[in-house]
Amino acid sequence: MLTLSCLSILLSHIPAFSKQPVTLTFLAGALDTQTWKPIIQQFEAQNPDIRIKAIEGPNASNTVEDLYTTAFLLGDSPYDLAYLDLPWISKFAAAGWLSDLSRYISDADLAEFVPADVVGGRYQNQIYRIPALSGAGMLYYRKDLLNQAGLSPPETFTDLINTAQTLQKQGRIHWGYVWQGKQYEGLAAMFVEVLAGHGGFWVNPETREVGLDQPPAIAAIEFLRQTVQQGISPPGVTTYQEEESRRLFQNGEAAFLRNWPYVWTLANAKDSPIQGKIGLKPMVHSPGLSSASCMGSWGWGIAKTTRYPDQAWRAIQFFTSADALRQIALDTGLLPSRRSLFQDPQIVAKYSFFPDMLKVLEKGTLRPPIAQYAQVSDILQRYLSAALTGRLTPSKAMQLAADETRLLLGTP
Amino acid sequence: MSLKSLQQREQLTGWILITPALVLLLLVFAYPIARALWQSLTTQNLGTELQPVFSGFYNYTRMIFDGRFWQSLRNSTVFTVISVALELILGMGIAIVLNQPFRGRGIVRTIAILPWALPTALIALVWAWIFNDQYGLVNDILLRLGLIQSGINWLGEPTLAMLSLIIADVWKATPFISILLLAGLQSIPRDLYEAHAIDGATPWQSFRQITLPFLFPQILIAALFRLAQAFGMFDLVAVMTGGGPGGATEMVSLYVYATIMRYLDFGYGAALVVVIFILLVLAVAIASYILNKLQLKNLQSNS
Repeated sequence: MLTLSCLSILLSHIPAFSKQPVTLTFLAGALDTQTWKPIIQQFEAQNPDIRIKAIEGPNASNTVEDLYTTAFLLGDSPYDLAYLDLPWISKFAAAGWLSDLSRYISDADLAEFVPADVVGGRYQNQIYRIPALSGAGMLYYRKDLLNQAGLSPPETFTDLINTAQTLQKQGRIHWGYVWQGKQYEGLAAMFVEVLAGHGGFWVNPETREVGLDQPPAIAAIEFLRQTVQQGISPPGVTTYQEEESRRLFQNGEAAFLRNWPYVWTLANAKDSPIQGKIGLKPMVHSPGLSSASCMGSWGWGIAKTTRYPDQAWRAIQFFTSADALRQIALDTGLLPSRRSLFQDPQIVAKYSFFPDMLKVLEKGTLRPPIAQYAQVSDILQRYLSAALTGRLTPSKAMQLAADETRLLLGTP
Repeated sequence: MSLKSLQQREQLTGWILITPALVLLLLVFAYPIARALWQSLTTQNLGTELQPVFSGFYNYTRMIFDGRFWQSLRNSTVFTVISVALELILGMGIAIVLNQPFRGRGIVRTIAILPWALPTALIALVWAWIFNDQYGLVNDILLRLGLIQSGINWLGEPTLAMLSLIIADVWKATPFISILLLAGLQSIPRDLYEAHAIDGATPWQSFRQITLPFLFPQILIAALFRLAQAFGMFDLVAVMTGGGPGGATEMVSLYVYATIMRYLDFGYGAALVVVIFILLVLAVAIASYILNKLQLKNLQSNS
């Protein structure tokens, strides 16, 4: 026994025989770390020289962003890997906190992912994040009500208003359409869809041109205001986040809902009053234009300060592999970023809505990928909220928002 | 040994003894304040790749033209003045009731402190639901009483949103003030009131001439505490309205947080902090000056 332990001590000090495993640390929301746990275990089993340490953070994405920010600001961050939400990439990259991954991955490999997810991981032509799980805003509707009324799902903004009003007038439903109108990041995400659906744009990341004071942006606000003024949306919709709007829809009090993919599983749960009664489609748009869904996806990056970039890359390769993402999709119903998986027989057998989801994702629109995004988004949120609650007229609000954004970005 | 050198030695001992405390104070107070002052004179943001570049008073001139800063300052001031005033009045009333002997007073006192003991972020979540326009308790009660025909959009309308925040804050902080004042009330000798009553004073006169002057130190402490706290209110607002609608309830603390943590604009954030710090010190100084004046007037009119 003694000789054995002596031998093992001796061996452990000879690098050639046994190497101390390298530990890679990352931070993610508690729910996200649960999602990734099985994948991490498989990776560790196949790679005995690497351990992965997941730090569980709060579930709110902006709080995780703050924790990463604090860690990176201090210089020597405790994190080797970073689990990244879309809107952070430009800021983190501009601050010099993430490693450029171009030397690891080719454009051909990146082409296998949902295009908008890849573009969202780029900053100044370099790639800082490999997409893993995708998501986009979509329109949920009550299939049963539309069938009863003999109506088809709406295609344009006008369709949506008319269909919702018809259903309300026939007394089939209390509210027509619910969305996210509170002053917060979700408001910007929702607005990107209505804006692009009207043919407008927010900020051009290349030229830094600002499009908020152009006619499509005004038309987009008019549409949102119309939903409230005509009683299609409850007045309180201007205070709702995702959950408030989902509750109304799931309790069977609204015919249409704009929300993220997570609603599908919840609204189709056994205890849901609308189980099996809902459909989903890409967001509505103006006639002659195509629909735009706001992307909200997660992926993996490498911290600049890590001492083990190559090991970190091996982990990312494994985490973003088709096998890993297929397993997560099967386990949780979350959407993978790899396009091929949406036709995967195993997945489609379990979730028949996946091919439809890919159509939504392919039409994904990004929030402007610029370093000052957080501030640009706050400017829009403040003035948009003021316009939606009637404190400013749409044109006045958008004029102010555009001016302030131009001032910030140095656009002439 | 002369008297002078003895005095000098005593002084030296005194200095040696307070040195650790001084060093500690310098480290935890003076250093951060000096650092913030220095940082406020630099530009340090994503544009400078997070490196500090000296820029003089640029951040301060930028602040003069920053409408969002002035709006948040106004919001914080309105919120602080109204909620602290309400809390003082209500807290005083509750303290006087809790000071009367009645059955089950111990239990009532314990229950009365509960709102203060709960974490603000949780309370804010609950209040956000209470003021929800569809499922909210407030609208439900008003509808049932027939006072309104359709739900009021509490958090979506600027004035109502501010009112909702004030109500939530008053609910939360009044117990703190009432407990402070209750402690003060219990230290006032009973015989003073008896003697006063025998002299023919009404209860209102007793309150004005005994309770208020004796309670003055507690009122001052409670007011100053709450003033500083309410001015820096973050969690309640962040959860209930996030500063909306349209920035109508954005407090200075939220703006500073966004500037530093989300925009990574450290120079400007430091300048904001310095200005708010100076304003707060001024506000506290003015408030304690006014209260002291009142106290003095009270004593003079009593004698």
